[in-house]
Amino acid sequence: MHIVDGALSNPVVIGGAVAAVGGLALGLRSLPLERIPAAGVLSASFFVASLIHVPIGPSSVHLILNGLAGLVLGWAAFPALFVGLLLQAVFFGFGGLTVLGVNTVNIALPAVLVGMAIRPLLARGSPLYGAIWGGIGGGLAIAATTLAVAFSLMLSGDEFVVAAKLVFFAHIPVMGIEAVLTGAAIFLARRVKPELFIDVKGRLA
Amino acid sequence: MMLRVICLALASLLPSVALAHNVITSVFPSGQAIEGEVGFSNGDMAGDLLIEVFDDAGAKLGETRTDADGFFLFTPEQPVTHVFRGDLGAGHLAEVTMAADEVALILGTAPKSAPVTTGQTSATLNASASAAGLSDQARAEIATMLRTELRPLRQELTAYRNSSDLQSILGGIGYIFGLFGVGFYLAARRKLEG
Repeated sequence: MHIVDGALSNPVVIGGAVAAVGGLALGLRSLPLERIPAAGVLSASFFVASLIHVPIGPSSVHLILNGLAGLVLGWAAFPALFVGLLLQAVFFGFGGLTVLGVNTVNIALPAVLVGMAIRPLLARGSPLYGAIWGGIGGGLAIAATTLAVAFSLMLSGDEFVVAAKLVFFAHIPVMGIEAVLTGAAIFLARRVKPELFIDVKGRLA
Repeated sequence: MMLRVICLALASLLPSVALAHNVITSVFPSGQAIEGEVGFSNGDMAGDLLIEVFDDAGAKLGETRTDADGFFLFTPEQPVTHVFRGDLGAGHLAEVTMAADEVALILGTAPKSAPVTTGQTSATLNASASAAGLSDQARAEIATMLRTELRPLRQELTAYRNSSDLQSILGGIGYIFGLFGVGFYLAARRKLEG
């Protein structure tokens, strides 16, 4: 899922960096004091999740867990995922520093969109109802991320359909696993900390 | 309870799967040719991959394919910098460069026409071998054997360099918490002031 240094053309890298800075600014403004610990925990779980590999055929893909961050944090997922990506690049050499912006947008933007679409549904009904929507959100975020990755590859000259197919199909098992994990996490949060999903008015996008 | 189960499951997964997912590429002289390998750091090699060869100005010099084990051979013709590039798809790009002087060493030092200079090259390269009284064929066999013997070592070395151990994982988590702690401190101070 992480695009590496040198795979993208310069305009895409620069565009990604600019978009990431915009997202970061928006995210930091919509991160209230009481959400900072949650953002830290989600950033750390994102950081570790990518080390968990799911073997598929000859290759393997890793977990991403961006959907959960988007569902809980909204726009604030941008700084949380950015920090995780930065440390992954520094510690493990995942992705790279020049493509950090593109990777941030590819992973955080789908998370934010899924969060905006599904977050209001999480607080409704029974915890199980919330968990099902959470699972759908978790899977959707991965699907959208694969499309974003394919899109950035296309802008750099790759054939979109080929790239999209390759990334999308490789990540179908990840979508399933993340749907279950996200659903479980949302279920747990609904049981022990239901106020997590009730927005303070005007604070969280 | 559920959280504990998840944590346990994750912890038991970690040591065996804590491998980075990077592309590893390397090239090295192999007799009259350049041999290289392409693969992922988790040990999967990139079989049947198109490797394009460029010089440092970006002009295409030729292309080759990897075999099932991710190895490729390319016979250089000009003593210029060779850039080997393979697209593994999905944003994975293998790129490795062999400097002009290394290529020149393979071809022999004279840059004009490669075939003429081979005799001179092998003369310098074989100095030690012929001193030991080995035929060209035996020498080539030994070289092949050595390369085969060294291959797993080299792979292990690259995999080790790319592996992520528990220390760096914990260190990374520590950095994240520290960073968010500082953010929390700044936000709290601003709130107290205001």
